[in-house]
Amino acid sequence: MPLTPTPIRTLSQEDAAHLLRRTSFGATPTEIQALTGRTPAEAAERLLTFPQTLEQSRFDPLSAVTAGAAVKLVQGQWMWEMLYTPHPLRERLTLMWSNHFVVGVDKVRNAPALQEYLRLLRAHATGTFSDFAVEVARTPAMLHYLDNDQNRKGKPNENFSRELLELFTAGIGMPGQPNYTEKDVTEGARGLTGWTFQGGRNVKTAFAETPVFMAVPRNHDDGRKTYLGKTGTFTPEDIVRLAAAHPATPARVAGKLWATFVSSTPDPAGTAALADTFQASGGDLRVTMQALLTSDAFYVARQRGSLFRSPVEYVVGALRAMGRPALDEKTVLGLVSSSARMGQELLHPPTVKGWDGGREWINDSSLLLRMQTAAALTLGKNAPAPTAPLTPLSVLGRADALQAPLARLNDKQRAYLMLISPEYQLM
Amino acid sequence: MSDLDLNRRDFLKISAVAAYTISGMPGFLARAAAQASGGKTLVVVQLTGGNDGLNTLVPYSNGAYYAARPNIAIPKSDVLTLNRDLGMHPALKPLMGLWDAGQLAWMENVGYPNPNRSHFASMAIWHTADPSQASSEGWIGRISEQIGDPFCASNIGTSTPLALVAQQYALPTIDSVDNFQLKLPAGVQDAFDAMLGTPRDGEAAYLQQATRAMLKHTATVQANIGRYRAGTTYPDSKFAGQMKDIARLIASGTGQRVLYTSLGSFDTHAGQRADQDRLLTELAEGLKAFYADLEAQGLADNVVVMGFSEFGRRVAENDSAGTDHGEGSVMFALGRGVKGGVHGDSPDLEHLNQGDVIYRQDFRGVYAEALNGWLNLDARRILGGDFRGPGWLAS
Repeated sequence: MPLTPTPIRTLSQEDAAHLLRRTSFGATPTEIQALTGRTPAEAAERLLTFPQTLEQSRFDPLSAVTAGAAVKLVQGQWMWEMLYTPHPLRERLTLMWSNHFVVGVDKVRNAPALQEYLRLLRAHATGTFSDFAVEVARTPAMLHYLDNDQNRKGKPNENFSRELLELFTAGIGMPGQPNYTEKDVTEGARGLTGWTFQGGRNVKTAFAETPVFMAVPRNHDDGRKTYLGKTGTFTPEDIVRLAAAHPATPARVAGKLWATFVSSTPDPAGTAALADTFQASGGDLRVTMQALLTSDAFYVARQRGSLFRSPVEYVVGALRAMGRPALDEKTVLGLVSSSARMGQELLHPPTVKGWDGGREWINDSSLLLRMQTAAALTLGKNAPAPTAPLTPLSVLGRADALQAPLARLNDKQRAYLMLISPEYQLM
Repeated sequence: MSDLDLNRRDFLKISAVAAYTISGMPGFLARAAAQASGGKTLVVVQLTGGNDGLNTLVPYSNGAYYAARPNIAIPKSDVLTLNRDLGMHPALKPLMGLWDAGQLAWMENVGYPNPNRSHFASMAIWHTADPSQASSEGWIGRISEQIGDPFCASNIGTSTPLALVAQQYALPTIDSVDNFQLKLPAGVQDAFDAMLGTPRDGEAAYLQQATRAMLKHTATVQANIGRYRAGTTYPDSKFAGQMKDIARLIASGTGQRVLYTSLGSFDTHAGQRADQDRLLTELAEGLKAFYADLEAQGLADNVVVMGFSEFGRRVAENDSAGTDHGEGSVMFALGRGVKGGVHGDSPDLEHLNQGDVIYRQDFRGVYAEALNGWLNLDARRILGGDFRGPGWLAS
């Protein structure tokens, strides 16, 4: 049974604030006003309609003189985009997909490869899931990160084959009821042989050189394979499409979307309904997102404030709520570092599984760092000047939240206190 | 009423008392309290990503090892000889002094039933000590519930591993001891107290509680930490910095029974030698400095280090000069409380399970000895069964 639509006919201020906190990191009172009174479908349509053009910044990863600098500039460029884009849902989806089809800059230290990977995530964020998975498998960043560029006929490397099933598509399954076997991993690895890339390999000299995808027929094992219960002379693309078509894939994708947009607590009934919507649309991510953002589950009162902000969502949300004040490039790089210290470095999750999120964002050190960051953004001597007032509605999601504690503070102190409250750290 | 309910009730009783007595206790008293309860600290080092056990503790007399690894085997001439058949990876040279002093133990063939080759499933099994993967609580989280104190264990790093997850408590993660302090800006103290005092439910209540716990933990650490003076120079690596912070916490008597940290990534599918060599160097240099520091502080009798990884790697190398995910592997332990030597038999490299060494020692037996013999806790309650280890602690 697919997701139940929300009974809300037109968005109240608080409905609009809720929608924007979750889809846009954060929003100003004016931006909230602009969606108030619209139908949920209109609002979702507006958020999901975006071009692929990026904001102008002075970040140019190709101008770097070392691989380390190139990586930092790619991260800064992305942070800039999240802060200033008029299409924040595109970036929020990109952030989510970077935490699904994970690559990491601990290994991938080539600027064009990382930029191409981010371009793919943006372009396919509202496309068809199986096409998305195939493109990711062909991109040099992923080919290098999970060693499929080393996977050749008669010389298997299982890394990508395993994570394709375990993390990108079906998931491992329940103990005692696995979704695939070790044999599927090894046969999948055979099928995935032959995809590699040329150029950009030397970290010291070629970090700004563009690597190019190549299918090398002589390195491909074209023998018969049995994979996920089917037998044939599967190509790499066949393997990825078979994995994407695994009956457990919709639930896995739905679980990711749920954790990103609905709640940090898994909900088997809710994700099953979302999986049905995904399945019925043939894996169309735009249709699935439209259904999700107009669903009862998304708007129902008990799910509001049930999502933990990640570190990046914490800093970007604060600055977007402040009306996207002008920052220089150095400050933006500082925000990349602050997020990293709080546990989320862009393009560098701790493992290929990515960040689990939810309560895992919260510990003594990350709470302290959030408080320090909030102080720097509001009270510090270099704090950016907000171009929009921070209000309980825009920051906390409710016009009447925390009235008494906020009463006797000045504007900067009010902003600080709201940003360190549990209400802002949730959305 | 089930056993579980009884335990819960006991936990609640104990935790109420512990919370009362521990909060606000001056440093020297907290230290005395820790010593009364044994004064022993267990340091757990997680090697993330699946460390290759065969290139760590090398079976250098075994032809099958060299046959399976023509490119990445450690040449016999490079091995640090421990006995007739085994030697350490050359990068572990900084640990040779500990070995010679009988303070370094290796546990062979450690694993668990129905091995899982997923990093994440396998790591979760080591963290929860539950191969059925039914538990959502970590084994160290359960220690905190048995003791009744969320501050009895801490992680040094940026995010809390599942091993330290408890149902009742949020166990601390300390990114860096120096930054582990709260400085509230002027003029907001009253509003902050009022904000934190606002009644909440759901995840907001969780955050509220986590913030209150953080206030208490930072106060405890900062009240004590000034006592520490490093007894040695630590190398300039992230791991060594983490070990130094662990030494600082122990030496300043903040009272944790378990301290946890991680090093990675050991996921060496391609070009294994370069990556694993670098990581094992970092590991050995960090551990050597840590131990020297403890010696200088006069605390070497009170600390044992135990290291593990979620699995070892396939016996045969792959064609990218790396190794794919395997099953059984080695664990290590060091300290004066350890019975130095190799515990257990080396794996039979000619009889494998799908290309992997077959485990003989359940890792829960190794944990059980640390719990019963070192921390003086009831391992049965924490691990949910009786597990036997190889006798790696000195008696």
